[in-house]
Amino acid sequence: MKLHRIYAIILRNLYSFKHSYDKMSDAFYWPLLDLLLWGLTSSYINQSSGGQTNILLLVISGIVFWLIFWRAQYEICMGLLDELWNKNMINLFITPLKFWEWVTAWLFMGVAKGAMSFLFASGVAILLYQTNVFTYGFTLIPYMLLLLLSGWWVGFLITSILMRFGSKVQTLAWSMPWVFAPFSAIYYPVSSLPQWAQNVAHFLPTSYVFEGMREVLKTGHFNTQNFLFALLLNCIYLALALITIRFSFARVLKNGITKLY
Amino acid sequence: MTKNIIEVHNLVKKFGTFTAVNDITFDVKEGEILGFLGPNGAGKTTTIQMLLGLLTPTSGSILYFGRDLMSYREEIMETINFSSTYTNLPWYLSVKENLTYLSYLYNIKDRKKRISELVEIFKLDPILKKSIGQLSAGQMTRVNIAKAFLNSPKILLLDEPTASLDPDVATYIREFIQSERERFNISILFTSHNMSEVEELCERIIFINNGEIIANDKPENLAKSIEFSHVELLLEKDLKKLEEFCNKQHLTFRIFGKKQIRIDVREKNIAEFLRNLTEQKIIYDEISIDKPSLEDYFLQMSQKKI
Repeated sequence: MKLHRIYAIILRNLYSFKHSYDKMSDAFYWPLLDLLLWGLTSSYINQSSGGQTNILLLVISGIVFWLIFWRAQYEICMGLLDELWNKNMINLFITPLKFWEWVTAWLFMGVAKGAMSFLFASGVAILLYQTNVFTYGFTLIPYMLLLLLSGWWVGFLITSILMRFGSKVQTLAWSMPWVFAPFSAIYYPVSSLPQWAQNVAHFLPTSYVFEGMREVLKTGHFNTQNFLFALLLNCIYLALALITIRFSFARVLKNGITKLY
Repeated sequence: MTKNIIEVHNLVKKFGTFTAVNDITFDVKEGEILGFLGPNGAGKTTTIQMLLGLLTPTSGSILYFGRDLMSYREEIMETINFSSTYTNLPWYLSVKENLTYLSYLYNIKDRKKRISELVEIFKLDPILKKSIGQLSAGQMTRVNIAKAFLNSPKILLLDEPTASLDPDVATYIREFIQSERERFNISILFTSHNMSEVEELCERIIFINNGEIIANDKPENLAKSIEFSHVELLLEKDLKKLEEFCNKQHLTFRIFGKKQIRIDVREKNIAEFLRNLTEQKIIYDEISIDKPSLEDYFLQMSQKKI
Protein backbone atom coordinates (compact mmCIF):
# COMPACT_ATOMS: atom_id res chain seq x y z
CA MET A 1 0.00 0.00 0.00
CA LYS A 2 1.25 3.46 -0.92
CA LEU A 3 0.18 6.45 1.15
CA HIS A 4 0.30 8.88 -1.76
CA ARG A 5 -2.35 6.88 -3.60
CA ILE A 6 -4.60 6.65 -0.54
CA TYR A 7 -4.13 10.39 -0.12
CA ALA A 8 -5.05 10.92 -3.80
CA ILE A 9 -8.41 9.20 -3.31
CA ILE A 10 -9.05 11.11 -0.09
CA LEU A 11 -8.23 14.35 -1.91
CA ARG A 12 -10.57 13.41 -4.75
CA ASN A 13 -13.35 12.82 -2.21
CA LEU A 14 -12.65 16.06 -0.37
CA TYR A 15 -12.80 18.03 -3.63
CA SER A 16 -16.10 16.32 -4.38
CA PHE A 17 -17.41 17.12 -0.87
CA LYS A 18 -16.43 20.77 -1.32
CA HIS A 19 -18.48 21.09 -4.51
CA SER A 20 -21.49 18.92 -3.68
CA TYR A 21 -24.46 20.36 -1.81
CA ASP A 22 -25.83 16.81 -1.51
CA LYS A 23 -22.81 15.71 0.44
CA MET A 24 -22.88 18.83 2.59
CA SER A 25 -26.51 18.20 3.45
CA ASP A 26 -25.71 14.56 4.31
CA ALA A 27 -23.12 15.80 6.77
CA PHE A 28 -24.99 18.69 8.37
CA TYR A 29 -28.56 19.21 7.20
CA TRP A 30 -30.04 15.76 7.88
CA PRO A 31 -28.42 15.33 11.31
CA LEU A 32 -29.73 18.77 12.21
CA LEU A 33 -33.26 17.85 11.11
CA ASP A 34 -33.10 14.57 13.06
CA LEU A 35 -32.02 16.41 16.15
CA LEU A 36 -34.75 19.00 15.80
CA LEU A 37 -37.55 16.52 15.20
CA TRP A 38 -36.64 13.81 17.70
CA GLY A 39 -35.05 16.17 20.16
CA LEU A 40 -38.20 18.28 20.44
CA THR A 41 -40.39 15.16 20.55
CA SER A 42 -38.39 13.58 23.36
CA SER A 43 -38.20 16.92 25.12
CA TYR A 44 -42.00 16.90 25.23
CA ILE A 45 -42.12 13.26 26.41
CA ASN A 46 -39.54 14.09 29.05
CA GLN A 47 -41.70 16.90 30.41
CA SER A 48 -44.86 14.77 30.27
CA SER A 49 -43.25 11.93 32.21
CA GLY A 50 -42.14 14.31 34.91
CA GLY A 51 -38.49 13.96 33.92
CA GLN A 52 -38.02 10.69 35.80
CA THR A 53 -35.82 9.18 33.13
CA ASN A 54 -33.62 11.28 30.96
CA ILE A 55 -35.39 10.40 27.71
CA LEU A 56 -33.92 13.42 25.99
CA LEU A 57 -30.34 12.29 26.63
CA LEU A 58 -31.20 8.72 25.55
CA VAL A 59 -32.75 9.83 22.28
CA ILE A 60 -30.14 12.47 21.50
CA SER A 61 -27.37 9.94 22.23
CA GLY A 62 -29.09 7.46 19.95
CA ILE A 63 -29.23 9.97 17.10
CA VAL A 64 -25.68 11.19 17.54
CA PHE A 65 -24.12 7.73 17.91
CA TRP A 66 -26.14 6.24 15.08
CA LEU A 67 -24.51 8.89 12.90
CA ILE A 68 -21.12 7.20 13.39
CA PHE A 69 -22.46 3.87 12.15
CA TRP A 70 -24.40 5.48 9.32
CA ARG A 71 -21.54 7.67 8.07
CA ALA A 72 -19.04 4.80 8.16
CA GLN A 73 -21.20 2.57 5.96
CA TYR A 74 -22.38 5.44 3.78
CA GLU A 75 -18.88 6.65 2.91
CA ILE A 76 -17.93 3.15 1.77
CA CYS A 77 -20.99 2.92 -0.49
CA MET A 78 -20.48 6.45 -1.76
CA GLY A 79 -16.83 5.64 -2.54
CA LEU A 80 -18.11 3.30 -5.22
CA LEU A 81 -21.32 5.09 -6.21
CA ASP A 82 -19.60 8.42 -6.77
CA GLU A 83 -17.20 6.78 -9.23
CA LEU A 84 -20.10 5.01 -10.96
CA TRP A 85 -22.13 8.22 -11.30
CA ASN A 86 -19.08 10.01 -12.69
CA LYS A 87 -18.05 7.04 -14.86
CA ASN A 88 -14.61 7.50 -13.34
CA MET A 89 -13.74 3.88 -12.54
CA ILE A 90 -11.62 3.54 -15.67
CA ASN A 91 -9.57 6.62 -14.84
CA LEU A 92 -8.86 5.23 -11.37
CA PHE A 93 -7.98 1.68 -12.31
CA ILE A 94 -5.67 2.48 -15.20
CA THR A 95 -3.42 4.07 -12.60
CA PRO A 96 -1.26 2.01 -10.20
CA LEU A 97 -4.06 2.30 -7.60
CA LYS A 98 -4.67 -0.99 -5.78
CA PHE A 99 -8.08 -2.16 -4.69
CA TRP A 100 -7.16 -2.14 -0.98
CA GLU A 101 -5.74 1.38 -1.24
CA TRP A 102 -9.06 2.51 -2.64
CA VAL A 103 -10.89 0.75 0.20
CA THR A 104 -8.55 2.23 2.83
CA ALA A 105 -9.35 5.71 1.56
CA TRP A 106 -13.08 4.99 2.01
CA LEU A 107 -12.43 3.86 5.58
CA PHE A 108 -10.55 7.04 6.32
CA MET A 109 -13.36 9.12 4.82
CA GLY A 110 -15.84 7.23 7.00
CA VAL A 111 -13.86 8.02 10.16
CA ALA A 112 -13.28 11.66 9.20
CA LYS A 113 -16.82 12.45 8.13
CA GLY A 114 -18.29 10.37 10.98
CA ALA A 115 -16.23 12.41 13.45
CA MET A 116 -17.30 15.63 11.74
CA SER A 117 -21.00 14.77 11.85
CA PHE A 118 -20.68 13.49 15.44
CA LEU A 119 -19.02 16.68 16.64
CA PHE A 120 -21.51 18.84 14.76
CA ALA A 121 -24.52 16.94 16.15
CA SER A 122 -23.06 16.90 19.67
CA GLY A 123 -22.54 20.65 19.48
CA VAL A 124 -26.10 21.19 18.26
CA ALA A 125 -27.43 18.99 21.08
CA ILE A 126 -25.63 21.09 23.67
CA LEU A 127 -26.77 24.31 22.04
CA LEU A 128 -30.44 23.40 21.56
CA TYR A 129 -31.17 21.05 24.45
CA GLN A 130 -28.29 21.57 26.90
CA THR A 131 -27.72 17.83 26.50
CA ASN A 132 -24.13 16.67 26.52
CA VAL A 133 -23.38 13.25 24.99
CA PHE A 134 -19.87 13.49 26.40
CA THR A 135 -21.52 12.56 29.72
CA TYR A 136 -20.52 9.00 28.81
CA GLY A 137 -16.87 9.92 29.39
CA PHE A 138 -14.20 7.55 28.16
CA THR A 139 -16.74 4.80 27.47
CA LEU A 140 -17.54 6.81 24.36
CA ILE A 141 -14.35 5.56 22.73
CA PRO A 142 -15.01 1.78 22.77
CA TYR A 143 -18.62 2.33 21.71
CA MET A 144 -17.54 4.57 18.87
CA LEU A 145 -15.05 1.91 17.76
CA LEU A 146 -17.79 -0.73 17.74
CA LEU A 147 -20.13 1.47 15.70
CA LEU A 148 -17.36 2.28 13.27
CA LEU A 149 -16.56 -1.42 12.75
CA SER A 150 -20.26 -2.21 12.27
CA GLY A 151 -20.57 0.62 9.76
CA TRP A 152 -17.60 -0.75 7.84
CA TRP A 153 -18.86 -4.31 7.46
CA VAL A 154 -22.39 -3.19 6.58
CA GLY A 155 -20.86 -0.76 4.06
CA PHE A 156 -18.73 -3.52 2.51
CA LEU A 157 -21.74 -5.82 2.23
CA ILE A 158 -23.87 -3.16 0.52
CA THR A 159 -20.96 -2.24 -1.76
CA SER A 160 -20.55 -5.90 -2.72
CA ILE A 161 -24.20 -5.91 -3.80
CA LEU A 162 -23.65 -2.65 -5.70
CA MET A 163 -20.68 -4.25 -7.45
CA ARG A 164 -22.86 -7.15 -8.46
CA PHE A 165 -25.88 -5.18 -9.70
CA GLY A 166 -24.47 -1.69 -10.39
CA SER A 167 -26.06 1.66 -9.68
CA LYS A 168 -29.58 0.36 -10.36
CA VAL A 169 -29.67 -0.85 -6.75
CA GLN A 170 -28.07 2.31 -5.36
CA THR A 171 -31.00 2.97 -3.05
CA LEU A 172 -29.57 0.23 -0.80
CA ALA A 173 -26.84 2.67 0.22
CA TRP A 174 -29.45 4.85 1.97
CA SER A 175 -32.07 2.33 2.93
CA MET A 176 -30.25 -0.82 4.04
CA PRO A 177 -28.65 0.58 7.22
CA TRP A 178 -32.17 1.31 8.48
CA VAL A 179 -32.93 -2.42 8.31
CA PHE A 180 -30.48 -2.74 11.21
CA ALA A 181 -31.94 0.19 13.17
CA PRO A 182 -35.01 -1.48 14.77
CA PHE A 183 -32.92 -4.44 15.95
CA SER A 184 -30.12 -2.24 17.22
CA ALA A 185 -32.41 -0.96 20.00
CA ILE A 186 -31.23 2.60 19.56
CA TYR A 187 -33.99 4.22 21.63
CA TYR A 188 -35.42 1.30 23.63
CA PRO A 189 -34.05 -1.77 25.47
CA VAL A 190 -33.62 -5.08 23.64
CA SER A 191 -35.90 -6.70 26.26
CA SER A 192 -38.81 -4.59 24.98
CA LEU A 193 -38.58 -6.26 21.55
CA PRO A 194 -40.64 -9.36 20.65
CA GLN A 195 -38.70 -12.58 21.07
CA TRP A 196 -37.92 -13.09 17.38
CA ALA A 197 -36.59 -9.54 17.15
CA GLN A 198 -34.52 -10.09 20.31
CA ASN A 199 -32.97 -13.14 18.62
CA VAL A 200 -31.94 -10.97 15.69
CA ALA A 201 -30.66 -8.23 18.02
CA HIS A 202 -28.35 -10.70 19.80
CA PHE A 203 -26.43 -11.18 16.54
CA LEU A 204 -26.03 -7.45 15.92
CA PRO A 205 -23.04 -5.73 17.53
CA THR A 206 -24.87 -2.38 17.37
CA SER A 207 -27.51 -3.59 19.86
CA TYR A 208 -24.77 -4.15 22.48
CA VAL A 209 -23.55 -0.58 21.97
CA PHE A 210 -26.89 1.08 22.66
CA GLU A 211 -27.70 -1.33 25.50
CA GLY A 212 -24.28 -0.64 26.99
CA MET A 213 -24.75 3.11 26.70
CA ARG A 214 -28.03 2.98 28.56
CA GLU A 215 -26.34 0.86 31.25
CA VAL A 216 -23.57 3.43 31.62
CA LEU A 217 -26.13 6.17 31.93
CA LYS A 218 -28.18 4.29 34.50
CA THR A 219 -25.54 2.59 36.62
CA GLY A 220 -22.24 4.12 35.54
CA HIS A 221 -21.02 0.58 34.80
CA PHE A 222 -19.26 -0.33 31.56
CA ASN A 223 -20.14 -3.90 30.55
CA THR A 224 -16.80 -5.32 29.37
CA GLN A 225 -18.19 -8.77 28.58
CA ASN A 226 -20.80 -7.38 26.21
CA PHE A 227 -18.24 -5.07 24.67
CA LEU A 228 -15.88 -7.97 23.94
CA PHE A 229 -18.68 -10.09 22.50
CA ALA A 230 -19.77 -7.22 20.21
CA LEU A 231 -16.13 -6.74 19.18
CA LEU A 232 -15.85 -10.43 18.34
CA LEU A 233 -19.04 -10.32 16.26
CA ASN A 234 -17.79 -7.23 14.45
CA CYS A 235 -14.43 -8.87 13.68
CA ILE A 236 -16.13 -11.98 12.26
CA TYR A 237 -18.58 -9.97 10.15
CA LEU A 238 -15.86 -7.61 8.97
CA ALA A 239 -13.63 -10.49 7.88
CA LEU A 240 -16.54 -12.07 5.96
CA ALA A 241 -17.47 -8.72 4.40
CA LEU A 242 -13.89 -8.12 3.28
CA ILE A 243 -13.74 -11.54 1.63
CA THR A 244 -17.09 -10.85 -0.05
CA ILE A 245 -16.07 -7.47 -1.41
CA ARG A 246 -12.77 -8.85 -2.74
CA PHE A 247 -14.63 -11.57 -4.61
CA SER A 248 -17.14 -9.03 -5.87
CA PHE A 249 -14.37 -6.86 -7.28
CA ALA A 250 -12.77 -9.88 -8.97
CA ARG A 251 -16.15 -10.51 -10.55
CA VAL A 252 -16.31 -6.89 -11.71
CA LEU A 253 -12.96 -7.37 -13.44
CA LYS A 254 -14.21 -10.58 -15.00
CA ASN A 255 -17.29 -8.88 -16.47
CA GLY A 256 -15.64 -5.53 -17.15
CA ILE A 257 -15.69 -2.37 -15.06
CA THR A 258 -17.80 -0.52 -17.63
CA LYS A 259 -20.63 -3.05 -17.17
CA LEU A 260 -21.24 -1.45 -13.75
CA TYR A 261 -22.36 1.88 -15.22
CA MET B 1 16.26 -4.55 -33.72
CA THR B 2 13.35 -2.67 -32.13
CA LYS B 3 12.14 -4.38 -29.02
CA ASN B 4 8.56 -5.28 -28.22
CA ILE B 5 7.00 -3.08 -25.55
CA ILE B 6 3.65 -4.84 -25.49
CA GLU B 7 3.27 -8.53 -26.30
CA VAL B 8 -0.14 -10.13 -26.46
CA HIS B 9 -0.23 -13.92 -26.72
CA ASN B 10 -3.31 -15.98 -27.59
CA LEU B 11 -5.67 -13.60 -25.84
CA VAL B 12 -9.22 -14.88 -25.42
CA LYS B 13 -12.21 -13.27 -23.73
CA LYS B 14 -15.50 -15.06 -23.44
CA PHE B 15 -18.71 -13.74 -21.91
CA GLY B 16 -20.71 -16.89 -21.31
CA THR B 17 -20.95 -18.58 -24.70
CA PHE B 18 -20.09 -15.42 -26.63
CA THR B 19 -16.45 -15.05 -27.64
CA ALA B 20 -15.62 -11.34 -27.81
CA VAL B 21 -11.89 -11.82 -28.46
CA ASN B 22 -10.73 -15.02 -30.05
CA ASP B 23 -7.10 -16.04 -29.68
CA ILE B 24 -5.37 -12.86 -30.80
CA THR B 25 -1.60 -12.41 -30.79
CA PHE B 26 0.21 -9.18 -31.59
CA ASP B 27 2.90 -6.83 -30.37
CA VAL B 28 3.60 -3.13 -30.17
CA LYS B 29 7.20 -2.07 -30.74
CA GLU B 30 9.16 0.64 -28.98
CA GLY B 31 8.33 4.06 -30.43
CA GLU B 32 5.71 2.64 -32.76
CA ILE B 33 2.23 4.05 -33.35
CA LEU B 34 0.01 1.06 -33.98
CA GLY B 35 -3.47 1.59 -35.37
CA PHE B 36 -6.03 -0.72 -33.87
CA LEU B 37 -9.05 -0.74 -36.14
CA GLY B 38 -12.26 -2.57 -36.57
CA PRO B 39 -15.99 -1.97 -36.88
CA ASN B 40 -18.21 -1.47 -33.83
CA GLY B 41 -18.49 -4.68 -31.82
CA ALA B 42 -15.35 -6.16 -33.38
CA GLY B 43 -13.59 -6.65 -30.03
CA LYS B 44 -11.42 -3.49 -29.94
CA THR B 45 -12.76 -2.11 -26.68
CA THR B 46 -12.66 -5.52 -25.02
CA THR B 47 -9.02 -5.91 -26.05
CA ILE B 48 -8.12 -2.41 -24.84
CA GLN B 49 -9.83 -3.05 -21.51
CA MET B 50 -7.79 -6.22 -21.09
CA LEU B 51 -4.61 -4.32 -22.01
CA LEU B 52 -5.47 -1.80 -19.29
CA GLY B 53 -6.17 -4.46 -16.67
CA LEU B 54 -9.84 -3.45 -16.46
CA LEU B 55 -11.04 -6.82 -17.67
CA THR B 56 -9.65 -10.25 -16.82
CA PRO B 57 -8.86 -12.34 -19.91
CA THR B 58 -10.36 -15.82 -20.13
CA SER B 59 -6.97 -17.07 -21.30
CA GLY B 60 -3.77 -15.80 -22.85
CA SER B 61 -1.18 -13.36 -21.60
CA ILE B 62 -0.33 -9.67 -21.83
CA LEU B 63 3.27 -8.61 -21.31
CA TYR B 64 4.59 -5.08 -20.94
CA PHE B 65 8.38 -4.75 -21.17
CA GLY B 66 8.45 -8.55 -20.99
CA ARG B 67 6.59 -8.59 -17.64
CA ASP B 68 3.18 -10.08 -17.07
CA LEU B 69 0.44 -7.48 -16.50
CA MET B 70 -1.29 -9.52 -13.80
CA SER B 71 1.87 -10.01 -11.74
CA TYR B 72 3.43 -6.54 -12.20
CA ARG B 73 0.32 -4.39 -12.54
CA GLU B 74 1.46 -1.63 -10.17
CA GLU B 75 4.85 -1.05 -11.87
CA ILE B 76 3.40 -1.35 -15.36
CA MET B 77 0.53 1.08 -14.72
CA GLU B 78 3.01 3.76 -13.63
CA THR B 79 4.31 3.82 -17.22
CA ILE B 80 0.99 3.65 -19.08
CA ASN B 81 -1.84 6.03 -19.67
CA PHE B 82 -5.07 6.04 -21.60
CA SER B 83 -7.35 8.60 -23.13
CA SER B 84 -10.76 8.07 -24.60
CA THR B 85 -13.43 10.46 -25.69
CA TYR B 86 -15.86 8.09 -24.06
CA THR B 87 -14.54 8.19 -20.50
CA ASN B 88 -15.41 10.91 -18.03
CA LEU B 89 -13.60 12.67 -15.27
CA PRO B 90 -15.46 13.51 -12.03
CA TRP B 91 -18.14 15.99 -13.00
CA TYR B 92 -18.01 18.39 -10.03
CA LEU B 93 -14.24 18.64 -9.85
CA SER B 94 -12.41 21.42 -11.65
CA VAL B 95 -9.82 20.66 -14.33
CA LYS B 96 -7.05 21.60 -11.90
CA GLU B 97 -8.46 19.43 -9.11
CA ASN B 98 -8.68 16.46 -11.46
CA LEU B 99 -5.10 16.86 -12.60
CA THR B 100 -3.96 17.38 -9.00
CA TYR B 101 -5.46 14.26 -7.45
CA LEU B 102 -4.36 12.16 -10.44
CA SER B 103 -0.82 13.51 -10.07
CA TYR B 104 -0.82 12.08 -6.52
CA LEU B 105 -2.01 8.72 -7.84
CA TYR B 106 1.00 8.63 -10.17
CA ASN B 107 3.28 10.06 -7.48
CA ILE B 108 4.62 12.75 -9.80
CA LYS B 109 7.53 14.41 -8.05
CA ASP B 110 7.16 18.02 -9.21
CA ARG B 111 3.40 18.11 -9.51
CA LYS B 112 2.92 21.85 -9.97
CA LYS B 113 5.56 22.05 -12.70
CA ARG B 114 4.13 19.08 -14.63
CA ILE B 115 0.57 20.41 -14.43
CA SER B 116 1.76 23.86 -15.56
CA GLU B 117 3.52 22.28 -18.55
CA LEU B 118 0.37 20.44 -19.60
CA VAL B 119 -1.78 23.53 -19.04
CA GLU B 120 0.48 25.42 -21.42
CA ILE B 121 0.70 22.67 -24.05
CA PHE B 122 -3.03 22.00 -24.17
CA LYS B 123 -4.03 25.64 -23.62
CA LEU B 124 -6.05 24.80 -20.51
CA ASP B 125 -5.46 28.04 -18.63
CA PRO B 126 -8.88 29.61 -19.38
CA ILE B 127 -10.72 26.48 -18.23
CA LEU B 128 -8.47 25.41 -15.36
CA LYS B 129 -10.92 26.45 -12.64
CA LYS B 130 -14.02 25.30 -14.50
CA SER B 131 -15.67 22.07 -13.42
CA ILE B 132 -15.66 19.20 -15.92
CA GLY B 133 -19.43 19.52 -16.23
CA GLN B 134 -19.05 23.05 -17.60
CA LEU B 135 -16.71 22.09 -20.44
CA SER B 136 -17.58 21.68 -24.09
CA ALA B 137 -16.92 18.30 -25.74
CA GLY B 138 -13.78 19.67 -27.37
CA GLN B 139 -12.43 21.12 -24.12
CA MET B 140 -13.15 17.84 -22.35
CA THR B 141 -11.16 15.94 -24.98
CA ARG B 142 -8.22 18.29 -24.50
CA VAL B 143 -8.35 17.73 -20.74
CA ASN B 144 -8.51 13.97 -21.30
CA ILE B 145 -5.44 14.04 -23.50
CA ALA B 146 -3.59 16.27 -21.02
CA LYS B 147 -4.46 13.72 -18.33
CA ALA B 148 -3.04 10.96 -20.53
CA PHE B 149 0.34 12.72 -20.65
CA LEU B 150 0.37 13.56 -16.91
CA ASN B 151 2.71 10.73 -15.88
CA SER B 152 4.96 11.10 -18.97
CA PRO B 153 3.96 7.60 -20.07
CA LYS B 154 6.09 5.17 -22.05
CA ILE B 155 2.98 3.60 -23.49
CA LEU B 156 -0.21 5.37 -24.49
CA LEU B 157 -3.52 3.83 -25.43
CA LEU B 158 -5.59 6.39 -27.27
CA ASP B 159 -9.19 5.57 -28.10
CA GLU B 160 -10.44 8.10 -30.65
CA PRO B 161 -8.47 10.89 -28.99
CA THR B 162 -9.39 13.61 -31.47
CA ALA B 163 -13.10 12.85 -31.84
CA SER B 164 -15.24 15.97 -31.22
CA LEU B 165 -12.28 18.31 -31.67
CA ASP B 166 -12.25 21.19 -34.15
CA PRO B 167 -10.01 20.36 -37.14
CA ASP B 168 -7.31 22.86 -36.16
CA VAL B 169 -7.19 21.55 -32.57
CA ALA B 170 -7.20 17.94 -33.84
CA THR B 171 -4.22 18.73 -36.06
CA TYR B 172 -2.45 20.40 -33.14
CA ILE B 173 -3.08 17.34 -30.95
CA ARG B 174 -1.87 14.95 -33.67
CA GLU B 175 1.29 16.97 -34.09
CA PHE B 176 1.81 16.96 -30.35
CA ILE B 177 1.36 13.17 -30.18
CA GLN B 178 3.88 12.79 -33.02
CA SER B 179 6.41 15.09 -31.40
CA GLU B 180 6.10 13.43 -27.98
CA ARG B 181 6.53 10.04 -29.62
CA GLU B 182 9.71 11.26 -31.31
CA ARG B 183 11.07 12.99 -28.19
CA PHE B 184 10.43 10.18 -25.72
CA ASN B 185 10.11 7.15 -27.98
CA ILE B 186 6.61 6.47 -26.68
CA SER B 187 4.72 3.45 -28.01
CA ILE B 188 1.15 4.24 -28.91
CA LEU B 189 -1.87 2.05 -29.58
CA PHE B 190 -4.31 4.19 -31.46
CA THR B 191 -7.93 3.71 -32.45
CA SER B 192 -9.91 6.10 -34.61
CA HIS B 193 -12.71 6.14 -37.11
CA ASN B 194 -10.93 8.90 -39.00
CA MET B 195 -8.94 6.88 -41.55
CA SER B 196 -6.93 9.78 -42.89
CA GLU B 197 -5.78 10.42 -39.31
CA VAL B 198 -4.80 6.77 -38.94
CA GLU B 199 -2.92 6.84 -42.26
CA GLU B 200 -1.11 9.97 -41.15
CA LEU B 201 -0.10 8.72 -37.72
CA CYS B 202 0.24 4.95 -37.77
CA GLU B 203 3.15 2.91 -39.11
CA ARG B 204 1.25 -0.31 -38.79
CA ILE B 205 -2.35 -1.34 -38.49
CA ILE B 206 -4.07 -4.26 -36.88
CA PHE B 207 -7.57 -4.84 -38.18
CA ILE B 208 -9.85 -6.83 -35.93
CA ASN B 209 -13.28 -8.20 -36.77
CA ASN B 210 -15.49 -10.70 -34.96
CA GLY B 211 -12.83 -10.89 -32.25
CA GLU B 212 -10.08 -12.04 -34.63
CA ILE B 213 -7.17 -10.25 -36.22
CA ILE B 214 -7.73 -10.30 -39.95
CA ALA B 215 -4.87 -8.02 -40.98
CA ASN B 216 -1.61 -6.78 -39.52
CA ASP B 217 0.25 -4.62 -42.01
CA LYS B 218 1.31 -1.12 -43.08
CA PRO B 219 -1.60 1.21 -44.00
CA GLU B 220 -0.44 1.50 -47.62
CA ASN B 221 -0.31 -2.30 -48.02
CA LEU B 222 -3.82 -2.67 -46.62
CA ALA B 223 -5.13 -0.05 -49.04
CA LYS B 224 -3.32 -1.80 -51.92
CA SER B 225 -5.11 -5.03 -51.10
CA ILE B 226 -8.32 -3.42 -52.35
CA GLU B 227 -8.52 -4.09 -56.10
CA PHE B 228 -11.04 -1.42 -56.99
CA SER B 229 -10.36 2.23 -57.71
CA HIS B 230 -13.05 4.89 -57.65
CA VAL B 231 -13.76 6.50 -61.00
CA GLU B 232 -15.76 9.62 -60.41
CA LEU B 233 -17.51 11.28 -63.35
CA LEU B 234 -19.46 14.48 -63.78
CA LEU B 235 -21.95 14.30 -66.64
CA GLU B 236 -24.30 16.95 -67.97
CA LYS B 237 -26.80 14.60 -69.68
CA ASP B 238 -25.67 10.96 -70.03
CA LEU B 239 -26.08 9.86 -66.44
CA LYS B 240 -29.01 7.55 -67.18
CA LYS B 241 -27.12 5.95 -70.08
CA LEU B 242 -24.08 5.40 -67.90
CA GLU B 243 -26.20 3.90 -65.14
CA GLU B 244 -27.59 1.34 -67.63
CA PHE B 245 -24.11 0.61 -68.91
CA CYS B 246 -22.82 -0.03 -65.40
CA ASN B 247 -25.72 -2.33 -64.64
CA LYS B 248 -24.99 -4.34 -67.79
CA GLN B 249 -21.32 -4.58 -66.88
CA HIS B 250 -22.17 -5.53 -63.26
CA LEU B 251 -20.19 -2.58 -61.92
CA THR B 252 -20.86 -1.18 -58.48
CA PHE B 253 -21.70 2.50 -58.54
CA ARG B 254 -23.20 5.27 -56.48
CA ILE B 255 -24.95 8.39 -57.74
CA PHE B 256 -24.53 11.79 -56.08
CA GLY B 257 -27.15 14.36 -57.04
CA LYS B 258 -28.21 14.63 -60.68
CA LYS B 259 -24.84 14.77 -62.39
CA GLN B 260 -22.25 12.85 -60.44
CA ILE B 261 -21.49 9.14 -60.27
CA ARG B 262 -18.77 7.08 -58.58
CA ILE B 263 -17.99 3.69 -60.09
CA ASP B 264 -15.78 0.99 -58.61
CA VAL B 265 -13.47 -0.31 -61.33
CA ARG B 266 -10.55 -2.71 -61.09
CA GLU B 267 -7.34 -0.72 -61.50
CA LYS B 268 -6.19 -2.86 -64.46
CA ASN B 269 -9.58 -2.37 -66.21
CA ILE B 270 -9.74 1.40 -65.98
CA ALA B 271 -8.34 1.99 -69.50
CA GLU B 272 -10.78 -0.50 -71.01
CA PHE B 273 -13.67 1.04 -69.05
CA LEU B 274 -12.91 4.52 -70.37
CA ARG B 275 -12.57 3.17 -73.94
CA ASN B 276 -16.01 1.54 -73.56
CA LEU B 277 -17.50 4.85 -72.46
CA THR B 278 -16.19 6.47 -75.63
CA GLU B 279 -17.56 3.62 -77.76
CA GLN B 280 -20.95 4.00 -76.05
CA LYS B 281 -20.77 7.73 -76.77
CA ILE B 282 -21.16 8.55 -73.10
CA ILE B 283 -19.77 12.03 -72.70
CA TYR B 284 -18.47 13.21 -69.35
CA ASP B 285 -17.37 16.68 -68.37
CA GLU B 286 -15.01 15.89 -65.53
CA ILE B 287 -13.22 12.76 -64.36
CA SER B 288 -11.19 11.86 -61.27
CA ILE B 289 -9.65 8.51 -60.40
CA ASP B 290 -8.98 7.78 -56.75
CA LYS B 291 -6.73 4.94 -55.72
CA PRO B 292 -8.16 2.70 -52.98
CA SER B 293 -7.60 4.16 -49.51
CA LEU B 294 -7.50 2.77 -45.99
CA GLU B 295 -11.10 3.87 -45.69
CA ASP B 296 -12.02 1.56 -48.59
CA TYR B 297 -10.21 -1.24 -46.86
CA PHE B 298 -12.05 -0.48 -43.62
CA LEU B 299 -15.44 -0.39 -45.36
CA GLN B 300 -14.81 -3.61 -47.26
CA MET B 301 -13.58 -5.50 -44.22
CA SER B 302 -16.36 -4.16 -42.03
CA GLN B 303 -18.97 -5.25 -44.56
CA LYS B 304 -17.65 -8.80 -44.37
CA LYS B 305 -19.10 -8.96 -40.87
CA ILE B 306 -22.56 -8.05 -42.17
